[in-house]
Amino acid sequence: MPSVEIPLEKWTGQVHQVTLGAGGRKTVTVGGENTLPYLHFDGTIPNKTAVAIEIQDIAPADWSPTLLKAWGDVVNDPATWAKKAVEYGAEAILLNLKSAHPDEGNTGIAEAKAVTDKILSAVDVPLIVIGTGVADKDNEILPAVSEAARGQRIAIGNCEEKNYRTVVAVCIADGHIAIPSSPVDLNLAKQLNILLTDAGLPIDAILMDPTTGALGYGLEYTYSVMERLRMAGLGGDKLTAMPIINNVGEDAWKQKEAKVAQGLPESWGDMETRGIIWEEQTAISLMQAGSNLVVLRHPQSVAKVGAAITKLMG
Amino acid sequence: MIIIGESIHVIATSIRKAIEDRDKAFIQKLAKRQADDGANVIDLNVGPQKKHGAEVMPWMVETIQEITDLPLCLDTTNSVAIEAGLKVCKNKAIINSTDATEERLTALMPLAAKYNCDIIALSLAKVGLPTTADARIELAAEILAVAEAEGVPSDHIWLDPLVLTINGNQDQALQTIEAVRFFKQMADPAPMTTCGLSNISNSCPEELRPLLNRVFMVMMAGAGLDSCIADALDEKLMEVVKILTDRDDSTPKGKLYLGLYDCYQEGEMYDTSTADMSDPEISDIVKTVKALQNESLYAHGYLKL
Repeated sequence: MPSVEIPLEKWTGQVHQVTLGAGGRKTVTVGGENTLPYLHFDGTIPNKTAVAIEIQDIAPADWSPTLLKAWGDVVNDPATWAKKAVEYGAEAILLNLKSAHPDEGNTGIAEAKAVTDKILSAVDVPLIVIGTGVADKDNEILPAVSEAARGQRIAIGNCEEKNYRTVVAVCIADGHIAIPSSPVDLNLAKQLNILLTDAGLPIDAILMDPTTGALGYGLEYTYSVMERLRMAGLGGDKLTAMPIINNVGEDAWKQKEAKVAQGLPESWGDMETRGIIWEEQTAISLMQAGSNLVVLRHPQSVAKVGAAITKLMG
Repeated sequence: MIIIGESIHVIATSIRKAIEDRDKAFIQKLAKRQADDGANVIDLNVGPQKKHGAEVMPWMVETIQEITDLPLCLDTTNSVAIEAGLKVCKNKAIINSTDATEERLTALMPLAAKYNCDIIALSLAKVGLPTTADARIELAAEILAVAEAEGVPSDHIWLDPLVLTINGNQDQALQTIEAVRFFKQMADPAPMTTCGLSNISNSCPEELRPLLNRVFMVMMAGAGLDSCIADALDEKLMEVVKILTDRDDSTPKGKLYLGLYDCYQEGEMYDTSTADMSDPEISDIVKTVKALQNESLYAHGYLKL
């Protein structure tokens, strides 16, 4: 039998390595690979894809019954919820400051600071804090979050064209990581990275969020944007080589496949199983496109995705 | 490089108003400014003019003819307006434009034959935007076949490869350049080539657009672009047109543009690694070439890198 030589791709670039957690907290390092996802024969992949679990500062009003059933009462207390999430395997906690949104309670600086303090004391894994997505409101509360977590290297988002200056300033001052978020737009993703680094943020203090389309709802578009960003980064473009964070749970559980039981064909099967599969498949697909940190909601998909990562890392 | 001056365009509120008011002086002033600044053809975009096309286009043509003998480019989707305009054109006229759809070819190609005028033809069909040079070439072949059948000489056809913006379609710049190169070899006599130049910088920041436009024009010119629909009032664009025409290499900028032109004439990519990046003007041009050659992902802040 003639031997077949496997062709190898030689990339000139490398994904930046970013470490979350400092000041006595556990750390999680993502990125650092110099090849496409899980192609171990092609290059080195020093860090595995990390899995975070999303919790909210108030009990979620609009979550799928499947999620509420899985978590039970803990959703009423963010600190208890965070602890439970770590038990289920979360390597980091994403805290969504839902109650600060002008339409969801419009809580302010004091509440944002208090809940950040609470989570930081309750668990020792790295923390990711996401604001409301309303630029003015985020400019108000995110500096308080940053100060509360000074020196503990949390990740803070979202950081968009409208509010990046504030987020960058507090990240530099308090030693955190910024999460620039672009609307599934390759060129805008790079532009935000240019703006952030130009404003003085170190290149290893950025986790980029290209925004996620769930399975059946634009997943392939997100996939393509992430893949192109990754290939540009591996090709040597340092401003596209940031590790990627995907807020998978938020998008997957919004879809009717994940949360509707009534009025659907019987062949769609059991709602709970379906929802978990929806989240799991969205996550695994995006991991193949280059995700470095997936944020999930259901304990079972955390287990399934974790098992897949273990296999993929060989 | 034949510049088809694009300033008389119904999208501008002032032009729309001037057409409504039949304000000859306003239109003439704008045509004169473009002619003075070096436009070789004046584009007359009157919009669809569904109701008054047959009246507006001849009025426009006659208004311009009072002050200049430059060829006119009759720009509307309304074929009735086009024919009405052609009837009163004293000088050379260009129909702007057909594409490769049967509907438009049937409406406009016979007019080009009947009035012995030129016609701009976009390589665009109903099936969606062309994304490769080959797709554009196939459509151009269909257009040329219809032209031949209608008795329109191939050098009366101005093939337009349909330029797409670098912001989102970055790989398309090189595809349009290669399409233009091939267009020139598709018939004897060679078809003319043109394009909507500023399409390359659609949705880019205003301050970047003229730079992207003029650098792209040089690359396209090297590949065989005869003309473009562009802003004749853009001094820096017209300065580059002059550099190409006079082969003026007396400045570093001139040398760079001519080097870029020659490179694309040879069918090669420009080697951006050897340029003197210490000169800000040169460095901006080279970074723009890099972006257009798809060497690094375009972002609005690319000049900062």
